[in-house]
Amino acid sequence: MHNTADFYHVLRIDQTSNSLREEIKEHCHTDIEMCLECGKCSGGCSNAHIFDITPRKIIQLIKIGEEAKLLKMDALWSCVACQLCVDRCPSSINIPKIMDYMREKAYKQCVPATRPNVELFHELMLGSIKQYGRVAEALMTVQFNIKSKQYTKDAEMGIKMFFKGKLNPLPSRIKNVQQVRRMFRNIPAQREG
Amino acid sequence: MNVAYFPGCSLHGLAKEYGISVEVVCKHLGINLNEIEDWNCCGATAAHSLNHELTISLSARNLAIARDMKMNKVLAPCAGCFSRLKGASYELRNNSVLAAEVGEIIQAEPPVEPEVSNLLQFIMEDQGLNAVAEKTIKPLQGLKLAAYYGCLLTRPKDVVQFDDPEQPISMDLILQAMGADTVVWAHKAECCGGGYAASDTDIVLDLSGQVLESAQQAGADAIVVACPMCGVNLDSRQEAIAAKKGKKYDLPIIYLTQLMGIAFGYSPAQLGLKRLLTSPFPLLQSKGLA
Repeated sequence: MHNTADFYHVLRIDQTSNSLREEIKEHCHTDIEMCLECGKCSGGCSNAHIFDITPRKIIQLIKIGEEAKLLKMDALWSCVACQLCVDRCPSSINIPKIMDYMREKAYKQCVPATRPNVELFHELMLGSIKQYGRVAEALMTVQFNIKSKQYTKDAEMGIKMFFKGKLNPLPSRIKNVQQVRRMFRNIPAQREG
Repeated sequence: MNVAYFPGCSLHGLAKEYGISVEVVCKHLGINLNEIEDWNCCGATAAHSLNHELTISLSARNLAIARDMKMNKVLAPCAGCFSRLKGASYELRNNSVLAAEVGEIIQAEPPVEPEVSNLLQFIMEDQGLNAVAEKTIKPLQGLKLAAYYGCLLTRPKDVVQFDDPEQPISMDLILQAMGADTVVWAHKAECCGGGYAASDTDIVLDLSGQVLESAQQAGADAIVVACPMCGVNLDSRQEAIAAKKGKKYDLPIIYLTQLMGIAFGYSPAQLGLKRLLTSPFPLLQSKGLA
């Protein structure tokens, strides 16, 4: 369990920092200054029971500018983006957007993902879209199993799915895949280092 | 009525029966589905998790093609695709700086025109419950169903602007219009674990397990879905969840359009019912519906 004692306390003005708060405001169009500290976000969160840092505490960490802690938290890789927190927030603070922003930042800075398989799966899916314009479900699952060294994961289910006609063994490529590839080139997900 | 149709990868793959039944039901309702020509993947969880501009751009290309096809509405039956397309449309409309950047990336005018609807919204707002009731020739009498919305058909509310984000009712009303009973239950808009199906299966076993448990406790015969991720997670992981908990669920997970097809008089074969892993046939046969 994450040690929360170091930040879960009443903040005095000299313990807060503007920089991360401003950055979030600019990029996520959401103002954490509006937080009423009610905790509805954590109350509604689908995965609060497994989060190392729950949404209400994430807001607190942004207030004190604890960026390093936020970039390596497990919550980035276990958030299901169910949108309950933002819809329950009386101030409409867009926590899912903050999660996406911080994850993208962590990814670009090569901060190791606490759940490497989740990161790997995202990368393989983007790779499939870049190559074919669509997700080649069967092929991607095989790639995932090999790269994550879980060679027999879901094999039995995969066979069942195949016989139900749900798995297309051959990927289909869109005609204008060049247009999609150009998007990837124009928006490089550059990783530093 | 003409509408642009965005099937997405799942309706061509893991949720083929959803795609098949959407096409059958729409044709029956007099809706012409015009598949977006050469559509690309919406980017799903992967793109919004790692690259914001890419996720908006992938959807923008699809919306631009729909606009060029002179369609003012896009129907996206997959809740994930719907969320990406609708979210991109919302951002393009409300953020002119981003819209200009995306226009450069996709080398087209930012597509702000087409409206995006999910299946529930489309049925409620463009067809109406009366149309569903009128077309019903085989009422779904005796079925006690748990209408399951999951996360993305109604949330985030500012973007979706349809039904209630946590206590939605539209699918219940559609099922009732066809003569079915729907149960009151706690997990109708909770998450199934979504995109973690393969990458972190334990999350899905946990969250989908709660949904199955809740539906069973409410006395449902089956769970009805309008999202391929919900459908695939609840169906394909049901055995593993039951084994883990030492319980038995045997809850068929049926796509809403499959039940609409039955009520409209189509055969199970025409609706891909055999493709479901948890067989719906014992239940449907016991009610004289298959």
